[in-house]
Order: sequence, then C-alpha cells, then structure tokens
Amino acid sequence: MNNQRYLILLLLVAYIFSPTLFTWMINPEGAWYRPYLIWAMLVVAAFFYHSRKKHQ
Amino acid sequence: MTFDITDIAVIGIIYLVILFGIAFAAEKGIIPKKISRHPVTYILSLGVFASAWAFYGVIDLAFQFGYGALAYYLGTGALFLFAPVAIAPLAQLARRFQIGSLADLLVFRYHSQTAGALSTLCMLLAALPLLALQLQAVADTLQIMTLYNREEPLSVFSDWNSREFLAFSYCAVLAVFTILFGSSRDQHPGLIVAMAFESLLKLVALLAIGLLAIYGVFGSLGALDQWLLDYPEHIELLHTPIRDTASHTLLLVFLATAVAMPHIFHMSVVEGPLKQMTSTLSWAFPLFLLLLALPVFPILWAGFELGVPLPAQYFTLGIPLLSESPSLTVLAFLGGLSAATGAMVSFALALSTMLLNHWLLPVLNIRNPHNIYRQLLWLRRGLILAVFVISYGFYQVLESRLSLTQLALMGFIQTLQFLPGLLAVSYWPAANSRGFIGGLVLGSGVWLTGLLIPAFTGWETLALPWLNLELPLGIEHWNSITMVSLTANLAAFIGLSLLTKSSVEERYSAELCAEDELSHPLRMILDVHSAEEFIDRLRSSLGQTNAEREVKRALKELNLTVSERRPYALRRLRDKIEANLSGLMGTAMAGEILDKKIPYHLPEAKGTTDINLIENRLTQYRSHLRGLAAELNNLRLYHRNTLEELPMAACSLGDDSEILLWNHAMQELTGISSESVVGSLLEDIPDPWQQILARFSNISESHTHKQQLTVDGVPRWISLHKANIAGPVADSADGQVILLEDMTENQRLEQELVHSERLASIGRLAAGVAHEIGNPVTGIACLAQNLKYEADDPDACLETADQILSQTDRVSRIVHSLVSFSHTGKQDQADFMPVALREMAAEAVQLLSLQKEKTQVHYDNRIDASLVIKGDSQRLIQVFINLLSNARDASPDGGHISLEGEDLGDMLLISVTDEGTGIAEEHRERVLEPFFTSKEPGEGTGLGLAMVYSIVEDHGGHLEIESPAPGQVSGTQIRIKLPRQLESRGD
Repeated sequence: MNNQRYLILLLLVAYIFSPTLFTWMINPEGAWYRPYLIWAMLVVAAFFYHSRKKHQ
Repeated sequence: MTFDITDIAVIGIIYLVILFGIAFAAEKGIIPKKISRHPVTYILSLGVFASAWAFYGVIDLAFQFGYGALAYYLGTGALFLFAPVAIAPLAQLARRFQIGSLADLLVFRYHSQTAGALSTLCMLLAALPLLALQLQAVADTLQIMTLYNREEPLSVFSDWNSREFLAFSYCAVLAVFTILFGSSRDQHPGLIVAMAFESLLKLVALLAIGLLAIYGVFGSLGALDQWLLDYPEHIELLHTPIRDTASHTLLLVFLATAVAMPHIFHMSVVEGPLKQMTSTLSWAFPLFLLLLALPVFPILWAGFELGVPLPAQYFTLGIPLLSESPSLTVLAFLGGLSAATGAMVSFALALSTMLLNHWLLPVLNIRNPHNIYRQLLWLRRGLILAVFVISYGFYQVLESRLSLTQLALMGFIQTLQFLPGLLAVSYWPAANSRGFIGGLVLGSGVWLTGLLIPAFTGWETLALPWLNLELPLGIEHWNSITMVSLTANLAAFIGLSLLTKSSVEERYSAELCAEDELSHPLRMILDVHSAEEFIDRLRSSLGQTNAEREVKRALKELNLTVSERRPYALRRLRDKIEANLSGLMGTAMAGEILDKKIPYHLPEAKGTTDINLIENRLTQYRSHLRGLAAELNNLRLYHRNTLEELPMAACSLGDDSEILLWNHAMQELTGISSESVVGSLLEDIPDPWQQILARFSNISESHTHKQQLTVDGVPRWISLHKANIAGPVADSADGQVILLEDMTENQRLEQELVHSERLASIGRLAAGVAHEIGNPVTGIACLAQNLKYEADDPDACLETADQILSQTDRVSRIVHSLVSFSHTGKQDQADFMPVALREMAAEAVQLLSLQKEKTQVHYDNRIDASLVIKGDSQRLIQVFINLLSNARDASPDGGHISLEGEDLGDMLLISVTDEGTGIAEEHRERVLEPFFTSKEPGEGTGLGLAMVYSIVEDHGGHLEIESPAPGQVSGTQIRIKLPRQLESRGD
C-alpha cells in the first residue's frame, strides 16, 4: 500500500515535466484540438484500466 | 435582438420551478431510484464544480492564456483520473467517521477546534468571491439579454434596478430552494438529481453554442481550420502565453480546487452515495470535463469572427445573440443560470454545515436537548440564509469591479492554501495542528493583503521600508502572490510541524488518517461495561430520548443488541456513535461530547494491540492486499486456521482478560459460539466455564489435572494447560493461551479399569476367601453335629450355639469385606463421605491375610483411629490393598509391614513401609506407569501402583516413593498425603 507514495511522486514529476509535455502537445504544426485527442485517449485508457480491474 | 425583462424573468422562473419540481419528484420517489441513484446522475451532479465561471469566464481565460485555460479542466480531471490515490482515501475516511465537511476533516485530523474555526473562516473568505462571481454572471447576462443593442431602457425598472432586483430575487429563490431540499441531515436525493439536471443542461447548452460556433459561424471544421490559417495570430494566441509561468501556476491552482473546494467535497464525499463509484468516477468525470472544454476555443474564435461587442467572458451568450437565434440565446442563458445555481446551492450547503459545526455549536449551549434535531435543522436553515445574504452583500460591495476570471482566481488561490494541510491528512502523519494553523494563517494573510483587500481599497503596492522593497499588490499580480502565499504556507506548515510536538490524541488521529488503513491497532480501554451505560452517560448531553435514539441507531448499524457487554463491541459502538454524532453536529462537537462522557483510556501496558480489530480489517481489506502484505496475510490465515482447527480446545486471553480467540474445539467442548464470546471479558462468559477459566488464568501453576465440573447436570473432567504469550516488549506478557483437555472419557475408562482390576483382585483373593470360609463352615458343621449329642445339656447347647454364631460372624465379616471391596467406587467427588483411614487399612489387612498361599507377613496397623478424611471408602481400600500386597510380595517370609499415620494439619500423611527387596534403580522412574511390572508374567497386571496414583490424585493427594526406606538398608516406603477436605468442593 505504500506504493501510493510513489504515485504522489509520479504526480510531482508529471507536474515538473508538464511544460515540455505541453510544448509537444500544442505543437503549432498539429491540429488545434490535439490536446483534446490526447485527453480523450487518457480517458479511454482509464476506462479500460478500471473495467479490467473490475473483472479481476 | 433583445428580450423583454418580463420574458426573461418568466423564463428564469419556469426554469427554477422545473428545478424545484425535479428535486421534489426525486425526494418523493416519483423519479425512480434507478435514475436517481444511477452513477451517471451522481457524476453529473459533481458537475456543480463547473460554475458560471466555467460557462462564461473560461472563454476569457482562453483569451488570456490560450491553452493554459485547459489547466482548469485538466487539473481537476487529473485529480479525478488519480481518484483512487487522490480522492478515495479522503472519501473513505469521511465515510467511516461521518465527516461532513472539509473543516470537519481537518479538525478530525489535527484534533484542534481552532483549526476548524480558522478553516471555516478561510473557506468562507474563499467562497465569497466565487459566490459573488455567480451573482455577477447572472446579473450581467440579464442585463445583456435585455439591454443589448437597445438605446434606452424600456422596462418598468431603471436598468440598475431591474438588474439588481432580478439578481436579488434569484438569490432569494435559491435560498428557499436550498433550505427546502438541502437542510435536513440525511442524504438528499432531490438535491443530487436537481444538480445533475442543471449540469446536463449547461453541458447541452455549451455544446450547442460550440456547434453553432463551428457550423453556424464558420460553416464547417475545415472552414475553421482555414480561418485559423488565414489569421495565424489566433494560433499564436493559443501557444504564446503557455510558455509563461502563469499557466503553470494556473494548473497548480486548479489542481487544488477539486479537493480543497468545500462544495466539491460536499458533493463528492457527503452526498456521494456509492461506494464503488471511485473507479467509474476516475474516467467518467474527466470525460465530462473534456466535453465541457471542447467548445471553449471555437466559441472564442467565433466571437472574434462575429466581432461580438462584449467582453470575451460573455461570448457564450453573445454568439447566439448576434446569430439572431432566440432559442439558442435562451438556452445559453439558462445554461449559465444553471451553472450559477448549482454552484451557489452546493456552496451554501457546505458553508452552512461548516459554520454550524465550527462557529455556532462550540459557542452555543444547546439548552433544550429534547429536540436537538429540530434545533439543528433551524440553525442550519438560518445559516443557509445567512450565506446567501452575505454573498449578496459581498457582490454589492464589489460593484462588479473585477472580471469573472479575476473573481474566480481570487477564490481559487485562497482554497489553494488548504492543499498542504489536506495532502498531509493522508500522506504525512508527522504534520501537526500548529504547522497547519501557522501555514494557513500565513498563506491566507498574504492572500488577504495581496488580493482581497486591494480589491476594495485599490492599493497597488505594499512598501516594506526595512527591506527596502515595494511589493506589487492586486489581482494583476496574482501569479506572484500565489507563489509567495503558497511558499510561506508550506514553509510554516513543514517547519512548525517538524519543530513542535503533537499531542497523543493528535498522533492517534494522524494514525487513523494515515493512508495505511491497518495501522491503528491500539486497544484502548473504556470504563463503560454495557450498551445501556452509554445511554446513561450520554443522557446529560443529548437528553434521554436522543441518547437512546443515537445508541439504538448505532447498535442497529453494528448488528448488536442493547445487552452487549463485550469490550470489543463497545469500542466499536463508541466509534460508531461518535461518527453518527459527527454527521449531526460536526466532528469537533461529537468528539468533545464523547471524550467527556465516554473517554478512552490509553492501555497501561505498551503494545496492547486490538487483535480483533486488526483481524476484522484484514478480512475486510483482504482483496486490496498485494505482494508482501498479501503473503503475510496468507501466512496469518494459515496460522489462524491451524489454531482454529486444532483438535484441542484452545482460547487466548488479552492482558485485560479479554477473549481474543476461541477455536472450534473450544466451541464444541463448551457449546459457546466463538462469535458470541470473542471480545468479551472472561467474567462475562457463562458458568461453569467462567469459574474454571478465571480461576486457572489467575493461578501461578501452568497445569491443573482433571478439574471436575458439571455441565448440564453431567459431570465432566477437564485438564487445563496454559502459557504466556510473549509481548512485543521484552519480558512482557501480552496475554495467555489456555488449552483445555477433555478428560471425561479418560476418567470413565480409568474407572472401568479400576473396577476390572478390583474384580481381578477379587479373583486372586477368591481362593483365600474360600479357604477362610471353609474353616468356619467345617467348624459350624462339627458344632452342629455335636448339638445332636448335647440335646439334653442346655448349657452345652447354648455354648455350641454361641460358637456357631461366632463362626457365622466370621463368615459374614469375610463376605462383607469382599462385597464392600467389589463395589464400584463413587464416581463423583460430591458423594465423598468421611472415612476413618485406620478402618480402611484394617479391611485391607483382613482381606490380604486370607491369602494363605502367599508369603505370610505381619501387618502392623499403627494408624490413629482419629485420622478421618472425606473420600471414597471402596477406592481407599483398593489403595491399601494394592500397596500392602505389593509390600507383601516384596517381603521375606515373616517380614513386617508397618502402616503409620500422621496429622499435618490440613493434610494427613500415611506411610506403608516394608522390609523387602526395594525397587531397583532402573525401575524407580517407571513404577507409576500403567502395565509396568517387575513380577513374573501372570503374577501382576502392572496396574496396581498406577491405580493408586490415580485414586490419590482424585482425592487431591500426592504420592511419594522412597527406596530404600528411610533408616533401613532395603525395603520401600510409600507415603501418601491426602487433604482432609477436597479444595474444589469449597466447603
């Protein structure tokens, strides 16, 4: 259960690196809705993760 | 296109009536539970998060920060994506301890009323700009709808009056709605469904405006792309501001809003009905936010394309207005109204709960405890009204000087001050109340001077002459003020927490809150002994009726009865009552009442663990355990099963005689189920088990042999063994484990054996008896023949008759001895009678001297006739027969066997000494074993001494063997000590 501390750490790391991630996501070459697509993918991933967990 | 003010008022009223109707229908069950309890309803109800600011203000945010505006959704969305880590621990905690608000949670964790009162103040300060934002948005949109494009006001009111009058009416109607549907203490299905409806409406409205922007204004998605290519400055606007640190700060601010906003906490934790929701929530709520965020940029661009003559924050309303679409305009207006309504209602509820629990109840002395529920209800209603009045006042004082975004940022930055304290609830047990209060005061102080006060006074700089610094103030500098306030907050929080010590209670709460659910095993001691006593204790605080009602409610929820006496169950009961009372009057008050009336005491011995609680929790959370924890749990289960299935009755006791384990064999032996007895004190279990176990656990010996007890009228024999369980601290015992061995069957076999051994002895004695009887019978025959010749001599006749009588006396004495010996002994110690030891010995000598074929020895019975004990005469004769026959068999012809008795006070000592060969060195250890004999085959069974030992034990005595006998070169002395009275009889 202590593993969740690492998750907090992960969140922190994600926060620190989010500018780089943002720059990549909002590359002017891409479509304006690119961030939304990535967000939608995250939602789908979360959905599958939780539905798989429920089945177990 | 414009609308008449009355039309708008009618539309608004119709909308609010529909909202009332939905809430009412859900409350009365007209809307089926399938809908009102559906996860989608709940997720939509969480959409109150997106207030009027999300409907209007975000467009302005997008204009200022480009993609940075997405942080508003992404921050919250990320928090929900990680709901199992970020939200679930708090939600579980809140549910377990019935924590009704953020301030309650903080009081629970930091164990400080000051923390509660201060948090409430800060929450109120954070909420005021946000509440003013909702009112301002509603008032502004009303004005836009009615006055847009119009040269002069035509309505019956002047423009200021109509706007403010409608805003005020709106506020009043909402207050009535909240009081009607949200003030009772239970969950509010009506409120949930109504909030879900408003979320749905604003989502539909926003999506519709988004579609209008793309397809109505630009024509298609492709056309929009082309437009962006034509005007690259808009794409530039998307990207440039994001490189600024401000958008970074934005993300942090918005991350905090989802946990630290009082109304989100209220909706997600207090009103949240479903336990398994977190996993659905973690993808469904981000999806909801994604849908809300989708139309933001198209609306912004469409506003530019159309040249909407309004600030960017009202583009959502301006686009349909300019597109001349009345239905979409009304929809947009209603969407905004919905968003404002949801936020205001949930804010008012959350704030009123906090104000009641942390400001009013601690200072108000509830005088009349008879209808406490009613008083609380009215207090809450009053507070809801007060929140609306204050927020309207705040809105009026601000006079719309700030934009929606500025108001929102001001509120959010203040809620950010709670983030360190809240994170520490689950993840940092070392944090303490001083740190929390210090951090909050410092952070809020910076916010107050930097943002709130300048909003009224217009201050622009704060001069710090001694530092030679001029600090910029005001909402324009929100970014740096946020960073300064958060840094000050964090530094004070961490520094003070590390430097100061927390109290015992606070450490206990911290452990309870620590994310690791299983780490509060301390077994606290209660000085209450029954559930009824709870009612007595609580009566003075709550009144008789309420105390009864609360105790009964808690008992029912725990599936216990009012006659409950188990300390384990009583501890659970206390916790449950505290949790229920927290739901009613807040953690601080509930804690205070319980601490005063039914205090917990720390156990005297260190490391007294609540095994029952740990087991209970482990069973509950078994499916959550992974890796090492799961393996350890399997190991625990294995050991537990080993003990449970042990084919020997076992129970274990805590230091305070609380029963911790009662295995299957124990249940079978005693007929008492483990559920009813685990957690009880030893003194509360039924007799005779209570007596025998309590006595045994208190004595110093670790074994007692064959204790007799009567169960359901049937005698049973039990042997007991015990051992101390080593405690975690060196040289301490954490309790005892007691094994019970059912000896009843053994005892029965032994008695049968004794009986058959007696019969065997009778057989061996029979020849001697026959011979002995033969002599007097021959004598009688002779005397009878003589009688024939003495018929005329009456004197001789009388003499012969006397002789015959004496011969028959001799015969009947022999027969009597044999009969009394061959009887089965008394089974029960209760039937023991006083017997004289000398007589017993004499009977045995009498029987043995009949065996003429055996070695002839002299028996010297020197036992005093006054030595009397309570015992079983038959079995005592057996003891003497066995001892004397052994002595005789070992003695030379004509040897002496002496029997002596001595009075030792409570005990009597009898010794049998012979002059025989003695016991060989190698046999000495084994002579008491059954079937061990040194005699020739067929001569002895080897049961003699074993039987003597068992009979002496049954009489509560001891047996010692000494060979050679003291003062002799050979021979054996057997000494038996017998108590005059049996101790266990107790008389």
